[in-house]
Amino acid sequence: MMIGLIVKDFMTIQRQMKAQAFVLIFLLIMAIFMRESSMLLAVIVFIVTIQAITALAYDEQSSWDKYANTLPIPKGDIVLSKYILSVLLMMMGLVVALPMVFLINHLTNNEITTEFFFTFIMIVTSTLCLLAVLLPIYIKFGSIKGRMVLIALCFIPGFLLGVFKEYIPDITRTFLDVKQFIYLTPFAGLLLLWLSSLISTAIYKRKEF
Amino acid sequence: MNAIEIHDLHKGFEGFSLKDVSFSVPQGTVMGFVGENGAGKSSTIKCMLNLLKKEYGEILIFDKDHVEHEQSIKSDIGVVFDELHVPETLNATQLDKIMKQVFKTWDTDYYFERLAQFNVPKRKKIKELSRGMRMKLSIALAMSHHPKLLILDEPTSGLDPIIRDEILDLFLAFMQDETHSILFSSHITSDLEKIADYITLIHNGEILLSESKDTLLYEYGIFKGSREEVSELPEHAIIKKRNGAFGVDALVLKKEVNEAFRLERPSIEDIMLFFVKGCV
Repeated sequence: MMIGLIVKDFMTIQRQMKAQAFVLIFLLIMAIFMRESSMLLAVIVFIVTIQAITALAYDEQSSWDKYANTLPIPKGDIVLSKYILSVLLMMMGLVVALPMVFLINHLTNNEITTEFFFTFIMIVTSTLCLLAVLLPIYIKFGSIKGRMVLIALCFIPGFLLGVFKEYIPDITRTFLDVKQFIYLTPFAGLLLLWLSSLISTAIYKRKEF
Repeated sequence: MNAIEIHDLHKGFEGFSLKDVSFSVPQGTVMGFVGENGAGKSSTIKCMLNLLKKEYGEILIFDKDHVEHEQSIKSDIGVVFDELHVPETLNATQLDKIMKQVFKTWDTDYYFERLAQFNVPKRKKIKELSRGMRMKLSIALAMSHHPKLLILDEPTSGLDPIIRDEILDLFLAFMQDETHSILFSSHITSDLEKIADYITLIHNGEILLSESKDTLLYEYGIFKGSREEVSELPEHAIIKKRNGAFGVDALVLKKEVNEAFRLERPSIEDIMLFFVKGCV
């Protein structure tokens, strides 16, 4: 049953994805000129993954959940399907972006360094963390209100960071300390995403349509 | 056996509530669920489908609790709303692929036969379909897993009489199987007169009547006369009275009234108006 939901989401965002292909070509050309493959990887993964939010927006626009909840699909599966869709999209983003990155590195005679793998892992982890935050917000508030909540959520920590700057330890140093554990961070991201799915399911089960 | 049984359903909203709603739909019958806009028809249906959470009361579908056995019940029902709630970028063929994954009993051949019967384009995006086409698609979607119960929430509102007639014929064909049942919510009373076996009237969140259609149409009569003439009717025969164009109209029990009084046959709409606007 969940496969049906994922198939539906892919079909829904199909057109949007095709439109994004033009953006990708533009980004590829830009990245070649700038000799910046890491940026290209980050942007492509972000653009493709964020289509999960587009799928949520289409659902909201058509009141899909009202219909989906008349079908024999458990509420938990409806939520989980969005998480699986997001991870699949992220993987698709990586599959699309990595050959381009290798191509750019080949053309610019840059070698794939440890530094690149570090960036790659950071991109994957950040995407997983981003999804873990975005999905419960959009499931709870919908796409319009959700955007406002998101802005508020970005603003408040930024503001607090500015105010209490002097009391906060040097982030760069802390970051370098944990660098040796960097290969574990995608797993931490996945764990966070799993916790986020539990929260989203609890939110969804309390919703009325 | 009843396909649907609702006992003392209560659900509060801001400025409105469903108050102890009780009625049942016997298996093999069509229940017309009638009431003006905002009377509580859709809210009752949403509670049945667990789209809204009831505050208290009992809802049984196929004799099973509607929350405890939600998934198995939903495998055997087809739901049609007044709109097709499916992303507009999809088309009918894509919906077939999706539904195949959702229902074990999904019948692709039957689905495409219905689309052909209704002239619904297979590959046109939903946003490009007219309202009538969307409703036909919605009905084809609701029926193609061969449900035992159809729950229809205003499926014919806003449609022209020709399309409405086609849709009603399809529902009548569905009812050829005596294990099938329909709950048909509508404020188009002529549709219900054509198809319903029972009528349940809801007003302000309360059930005013739930009766067999034949009882309503053949055992009730309307007497139109002056106040003096109406006062001559036996008190116990009068169900409801309301001011008419030339005096008072009274909805009466036919068998309790002397044949000397000329009675008119009521329509569902008349009965609805008497119960909603009339007084005792």
